[in-house]
Amino acid sequence: MSTLRDSRHLWLLAGLLGAAALGMMLLRTVLMPATYGIQGPYRAEALAEIAAQPSLFPADATCHQCHEKVRHERDGTLHEAVRCAHCHGLAVDHVAKARLAAADPSVPIPPAAEWDGNFLTRIDLYLTKDRSTCLSCHEQVVGMPADFKKIDPAVHLEEQGASEPTSRETCFECHGGHDTAP
Amino acid sequence: MDGHPLHTAPFIFPNDAHPAWSIMIVLYPYITGMVAGAFVVSSMYHVFHREALKPVAKLAVVTSLCFCACATLPLLLHLHQPQRALNVMVTPSPSSAMAGFGFIYSGYMLLLLVDVWLMFRPAIVARARSLTGRWGQLYRVLALGVLDISPGAAAIDQRLISALSVLGIPVACVLHGYVGFLFGAIKANPWWSTSLMPVIFLSSAIVSGIAVVILVYLFLCRWSGIEAEPECMRALSRLLWMFLILAVAFEGVELLHIAYEQEAEWHVIRELLGSKLRFSYGIVQILIGSLIPLLILPLPAFSHRLAARCRDSWSGVAAVLVLFQVLAMRWNVVVGGQLFSKSFRGFVDYPLTWWGREGLIAAAVVLAMPLVLLFGAMKILPVWPPGIDDHEGTIQ
Amino acid sequence: MFDVAEESRRSFLKHATTVTIGAFSLTILPSTLAEDEPQVTKPGQLPILGNPPAAGHGASPKPVYGFLIDTTRCTGAGKCLTACRVENKVPEGQSRTWVERYAHLKDGSVKVDLVPETGYAGSEIPPLDADDVLRAYFVPKLCNQCVEAPCNQVCPVHASIKSPEGIELIDTDRCIGCGYCVQACPYGIRFMNQDTGVADKCNWCYHRIMRNEQPACVEACPTGARVFGRLDDPESELAKRLATVPTEVLKQHLGTIPLTRYIGLCDEVT
Repeated sequence: MSTLRDSRHLWLLAGLLGAAALGMMLLRTVLMPATYGIQGPYRAEALAEIAAQPSLFPADATCHQCHEKVRHERDGTLHEAVRCAHCHGLAVDHVAKARLAAADPSVPIPPAAEWDGNFLTRIDLYLTKDRSTCLSCHEQVVGMPADFKKIDPAVHLEEQGASEPTSRETCFECHGGHDTAP
Repeated sequence: MDGHPLHTAPFIFPNDAHPAWSIMIVLYPYITGMVAGAFVVSSMYHVFHREALKPVAKLAVVTSLCFCACATLPLLLHLHQPQRALNVMVTPSPSSAMAGFGFIYSGYMLLLLVDVWLMFRPAIVARARSLTGRWGQLYRVLALGVLDISPGAAAIDQRLISALSVLGIPVACVLHGYVGFLFGAIKANPWWSTSLMPVIFLSSAIVSGIAVVILVYLFLCRWSGIEAEPECMRALSRLLWMFLILAVAFEGVELLHIAYEQEAEWHVIRELLGSKLRFSYGIVQILIGSLIPLLILPLPAFSHRLAARCRDSWSGVAAVLVLFQVLAMRWNVVVGGQLFSKSFRGFVDYPLTWWGREGLIAAAVVLAMPLVLLFGAMKILPVWPPGIDDHEGTIQ
Repeated sequence: MFDVAEESRRSFLKHATTVTIGAFSLTILPSTLAEDEPQVTKPGQLPILGNPPAAGHGASPKPVYGFLIDTTRCTGAGKCLTACRVENKVPEGQSRTWVERYAHLKDGSVKVDLVPETGYAGSEIPPLDADDVLRAYFVPKLCNQCVEAPCNQVCPVHASIKSPEGIELIDTDRCIGCGYCVQACPYGIRFMNQDTGVADKCNWCYHRIMRNEQPACVEACPTGARVFGRLDDPESELAKRLATVPTEVLKQHLGTIPLTRYIGLCDEVT
């Protein structure tokens, strides 16, 4: 009896700590995400959230839905594997608006802009009949595979008997656009 | 990067340019280390009955508690999503070395709180009975409303204090060994990945804790105009010297091991030590922080002829240098490990800013916080001067 | 290749139908399935994603994904890099994927450079004199989706998710931003996203592959240097190429068991 009396401050403390632990456990159930652990040790909803992120980089099929005419223009050419987006930009806004416009024709579809030459910000749609578009892949750099078509622009122009490019579109004059020839 | 025939020009992975861990992660093991170290000092008295340490026994536990209370501060400042900090206890991952922190830390904090509460219960009860008004109320709450201490209760408390002091030693080792494991278990980083890391962190933790207790004790003695107990100072200096030898030995063995084995990534580490860490490792950690204290500590530790003032000065200087050593060691591990890219072909710069959540000013505030808390604790509890509580309450 | 993908996309949608009908209301279905365009998945369908249909539904077994990097085909034009940055809104100065150029010089040394994201026109990769170079090649880097992922192991709050398909994902709602996973990834793939304040990493465009689309970088690669597909589908380009050429993984000695395999990897690649 006296031991119990002597240790009553400890029992009080134990009660306090027990209550705190209980409170923590309660807090834990409150803070526990709803779908946690139903598939594995994680919040299962997260997978769906990540998967819901929109696809932005357009597959060529996306472009061809509207731009039917160009669908087969590159078939059999050296540029068959080049995507529309490589030269014309990712057209993020353009595609999004075009999808909306399919249901509601009053939605304006932003047209292709003159290209500002910046590849990093190429998320819009551009008219890219520009030699730098070609050179962004084909300018000769040490390390390229041997069978990859590459040019040193200065040497190439000299071979063609020109000292400098005749225009922005100089490559296209000989090699064509969608129907690229070697 | 020269010295290796394969590498001519530096190359770093693009994401390695911005180190993910800031100076706050340097402070985190620094502060936790002092928690563990100060507790060991107190345990030397309570468990191993080193009577000479009696004057600092309670001071050491309270110091430990104050540092422990601040140990999460640098982490919260570092976390990019501090409001989610509790996730670590809501959905902890058993495979993560870091997930243990919430539990180990809370457990240790609880142990320290109960330990301090029991130690100061006589004083708390005495004040709860004698004081009125808001202060009296505070102490009555602290006493949990139990306003008498029978001899039986006092005996139970003493037994419990001993038990907690015993239990506290392994828990302190776990707390800080665990911090070392956080780094030692990262196989991606050759400067961290070693099984010695927990031991290195633990030994330097104890060293830093002893040094803090020495400095706090000396400061308080000077402040109250009393003389530091010669036996206590000698014992503390001996303790510091002993654990410093251990810490330096572990750190040395580790470095020697990497250097001698010369594994694939050694050329990066050699370069790191020779350039980016030349000052913080070579000068601060080894020369100023380890060798000099190792040489001067035997004086205050073993000489009985030294004048008191002289002895205290030597101990104090050694303690300050040791604190720099441990800080440099944390820096060299945490920052050093992020100064090279995982390409092992190039180094990155470590940005230090004055302002901001993870700046130097914030770091200084974090380092000062435990001392502010200690000052506050001394206002509430009879931590200082030693022996004052012997006249309060009913114990003895 | 394209036909195969089309085919399996249809069968995927078929499973989606079966399972979704079983578990959820019918109302959202017609609009989802009517169009041919890849769709942003509607909330009601979501739970099937991490939970592939059981065999009892007449479904194909759980997909086994793989990634192949052919260093002999990479031209270093960096089209994949722009694609990834736009697709996943990766902040400037941080990267989910990048391309390195390794050059063996005639003096016996190796020089490594980062390929610019802008393509070559108007931007710089440190020039090399072709006469000094024995051999040079490009190495794209992306998440290895390690089977024993050290980044996942160290995450304290289970914000790192190994999806049922074996893809390493980040739950941006749970991540506390401690940066431990960034330290633990031996490949430097993870980073603290400076815009969102949580960890970020390449997830092989999980959102795209769940719709049976190719990851953005693969879609953007004109030379076939990046190949994504199902290992368990013998008709996939990935399986066909892996069947014919020996491949390697990065930092094999660390035992992380990467799923991203490389053709033409040399020991200087870290």
